[in-house]
Amino acid sequence: MSGTVLEVAGLNKRFGGLHAIQDLDFVLLEGDQTAIIGPNGAGKTTFFNLITGFHRADSGRILFQGNDITNHPSHEIARLGISRAFQISNIFPKLTVLENVRSAVQAKMGKAFDVLGRADRIGTEEAERIIRLCGLNDKQRVAAGELSQGDKKKLELALALSGKPKLLLLDEPTAGMSLEETRETMALVDRLNQELKLTTLFTEHDMSVVFNHARKVTLLHRGQIIVEGPPGDVRASETAQRIYLGEHH
Amino acid sequence: MPDFGSLLIQLFSGFSRAMMLFLLSSGLSLIFGVMNILNFAHATLWLLAAYLTYTFFQIFSRLWGSEALVLMASIVLATGIMFLLGVAIERFLIRRMYARELPEQLLLTFALILIFSDTIKLFWGVENRRIVLPIEPMEVLGSFVNPYFFVIIAAGCGIALGLWFFLHRSRYGKMVRAAVFSRDMVSALGIRIPAIYAGVFGLGVGLAAVTAGIFLPIMPLSLGIDMDLIVQCFAVVVIGGFGSILGTFIASLMVGVVYSYSVLFWPDGALAIIFLILVAVLIWRPWGLFGTEMRY
Amino acid sequence: MDMASSPGNQRRGWFSDLYRGRGLSGPVAIIFLLGFLLVPLLPGQFPIIVGTEILIVGLFALSFNLIYGYMGQISFGHAAFFGLGAYATALLFRYLQMTAGGIGYLGFFLSLIVSLPVAALGSLVVGFFCVRLTGIYFAMLSLGFGELLFYIVFSWYSFTKGDDGIQGLLPPPFFQNPTHYYYFTLAIVVLAVLLLWRITESPFGFTLRMLRDNRNRAAFLGINVRRVMLTNFVIAGTFAGAAGALWGPFQRSVSPHILGWAESGKAIFMTLIGGAYYLAGPMAGSIIYTALNAYVTRFTIFWPLTIGLTILVFVIFIPGGLLSVIDQRIRSLPKKGNTEGNQKAEKAPSPGRGE
Repeated sequence: MSGTVLEVAGLNKRFGGLHAIQDLDFVLLEGDQTAIIGPNGAGKTTFFNLITGFHRADSGRILFQGNDITNHPSHEIARLGISRAFQISNIFPKLTVLENVRSAVQAKMGKAFDVLGRADRIGTEEAERIIRLCGLNDKQRVAAGELSQGDKKKLELALALSGKPKLLLLDEPTAGMSLEETRETMALVDRLNQELKLTTLFTEHDMSVVFNHARKVTLLHRGQIIVEGPPGDVRASETAQRIYLGEHH
Repeated sequence: MPDFGSLLIQLFSGFSRAMMLFLLSSGLSLIFGVMNILNFAHATLWLLAAYLTYTFFQIFSRLWGSEALVLMASIVLATGIMFLLGVAIERFLIRRMYARELPEQLLLTFALILIFSDTIKLFWGVENRRIVLPIEPMEVLGSFVNPYFFVIIAAGCGIALGLWFFLHRSRYGKMVRAAVFSRDMVSALGIRIPAIYAGVFGLGVGLAAVTAGIFLPIMPLSLGIDMDLIVQCFAVVVIGGFGSILGTFIASLMVGVVYSYSVLFWPDGALAIIFLILVAVLIWRPWGLFGTEMRY
Repeated sequence: MDMASSPGNQRRGWFSDLYRGRGLSGPVAIIFLLGFLLVPLLPGQFPIIVGTEILIVGLFALSFNLIYGYMGQISFGHAAFFGLGAYATALLFRYLQMTAGGIGYLGFFLSLIVSLPVAALGSLVVGFFCVRLTGIYFAMLSLGFGELLFYIVFSWYSFTKGDDGIQGLLPPPFFQNPTHYYYFTLAIVVLAVLLLWRITESPFGFTLRMLRDNRNRAAFLGINVRRVMLTNFVIAGTFAGAAGALWGPFQRSVSPHILGWAESGKAIFMTLIGGAYYLAGPMAGSIIYTALNAYVTRFTIFWPLTIGLTILVFVIFIPGGLLSVIDQRIRSLPKKGNTEGNQKAEKAPSPGRGE
């Protein structure tokens, strides 16, 4: 199964009476850039949470590069190479931008327990590289809590990129961004995908982003995959239109 | 091995202690449920109320002959004052802490313990205080028992029922319960959240005050008993689970009875047993017997 | 940095380099060290005794702050490890005293050192359970364990002499002199602070800060949160034990109350008053707290009221502690060579970020 980065089979998750994810099957090949779309409450974030070990699956399997990662702890999954950027910026507010990214780099380097090293001398070049890549170079010494919303999202992405992930999960990467920032961010995602073969899976509500940047689109609704395929096909599908016109606001 | 008589007395003592714990812990749980603030000073405010009630009792005793009347008047007056004090504490102190981090919130109510327990020392000194009601001991199963225990249990149940009705039937109570679920929604509906918070805190403190007054006739007051009590309350809310009335009730029975019997066998270490239970529950099942399971 | 010719300007240049490079704690620590070195010059023995107490309890508070300021959890049972260390030292001390007829220098040092593994083991056991929780539950469980350890020490009369405590901890002749013991304590505390500084500025130190700022995100970055918390808990407990070790011979006795929540509370107060986000904060807090205590208790018995009001004021108005106030003042000073005062000329970290 080389070339398959992520394989999900028969995944189920219930929250009390709500069957959030129903018998989900899903495959991601290496180098894919796939978008998951669907109305609010479709289960997109739950899906990400299951992949990254934040929720326990009721049944089913998740395989990452052939390894079974179902219900493994989040930190193990992250160490294997799955990285995640959150919808609402999930950063370290009291640390500077540089410290944020550098600490993430150090963690991925396995240095989290290094008690005697000097933090400001480890991983700095790599951290600065990522910061430059994400367009935060002039804000290195600003405390993360003080950044603007757009910058926080950039930092969010920077954190997700630390540690050279093999699979990148982006939860609404352009939410709250201006047109310009959206363009920049998605151009970066494209570049990472093409140059580094970084498999990317992202959720989005902004359809222009989806159709301009995703090579495959998956429509999720009430925990089930309704339609899958190239963007054009999904856009043309009647089922998709019905779901969106019926429930989308 | 203590005789059956003292075992029976300890059982009554355990039940009445359970009732006190239930009332106190309900107030603590209510405040935590609505405002997410753990009021460390809850038992200290209880003690302050007790001392206040004591003083009013002394004063009114000179005016009226009927002890029951005097006691009730003292309780009402003390509760009213403590309710206002609770509202003031929320309005001027607690309100500033909602946006703050947890440790700072804990420190604030911790500081209140120091302030109020020393206030008690300031006004009432260090000697023990008690009030004595002339009541004939009743004979039950061959031992003599203070019939006031039954008054306590009846009053306690009455208050608990009153609280339940208030929360579930009155308009204000429903707003309070709604605020537990979603303060944003309640606020969006135009209901003044700050007023609810102030009221709830005052209610919690007032509840503690009433409890103090009711128990005054059987409980000698001394400095420091608030610390024992707040630990027992923590044990109750942890064992029972925050937000569950049934849980609080059952946990109160457990802690009350266990403590009473522990005092019989190991006076110095009765509290240690409570700590042991607290630790055991937090290790095994932190959300308590009846709380909702949390990811932790 | 402008290194102008006059010595005054040169010192300020080096000073602000230290400040800019290392944060406020650098200069503050040096000022403190100078102050501590000079204390014995004051008349009488009282300043030395107070100074020793400030140092020992300050070290205890510094250990507490590893858990609080750097990792974001509040532990109400930290004094138990201080007490474990103190009792370990006291017990070995008494044993050597009684079997040899007196305590020699080797025995003295051995007694001090034995506190470390004992406190480490204690915090390993307690921490194993505590790190599975956070927030209020962590606080309550740590309180519970702390009090259980207190009760064990209090009740186990045959081993610990219970409420009577362990008396007669007279150090060897050289250390019976308060001034000698003071400098000895100072040396150990300086060593400990250097270690703590190294630890907090290491990658591990930043892992702690990540746990403080956003525990969940840290897990998603590959950090085994529980293991980090446990490691830190044990480190903090060990340093607390070291402080405890120094306490016994200093007081010539130990008693169970040093394991209780009131002692844990002291560390919390000191850290809050001095500043939790600064390495030197807890020591600053120790100075203020101990001095305040010594002063206030001369006039009134209402020390809890005083300290309670102080905590109240600090929590509400100065949650970052004294050092945060100083830090903010310094940051808003006009830079040299710049006529308009500038606040964040080099995008300096914002106030409250600390260090």
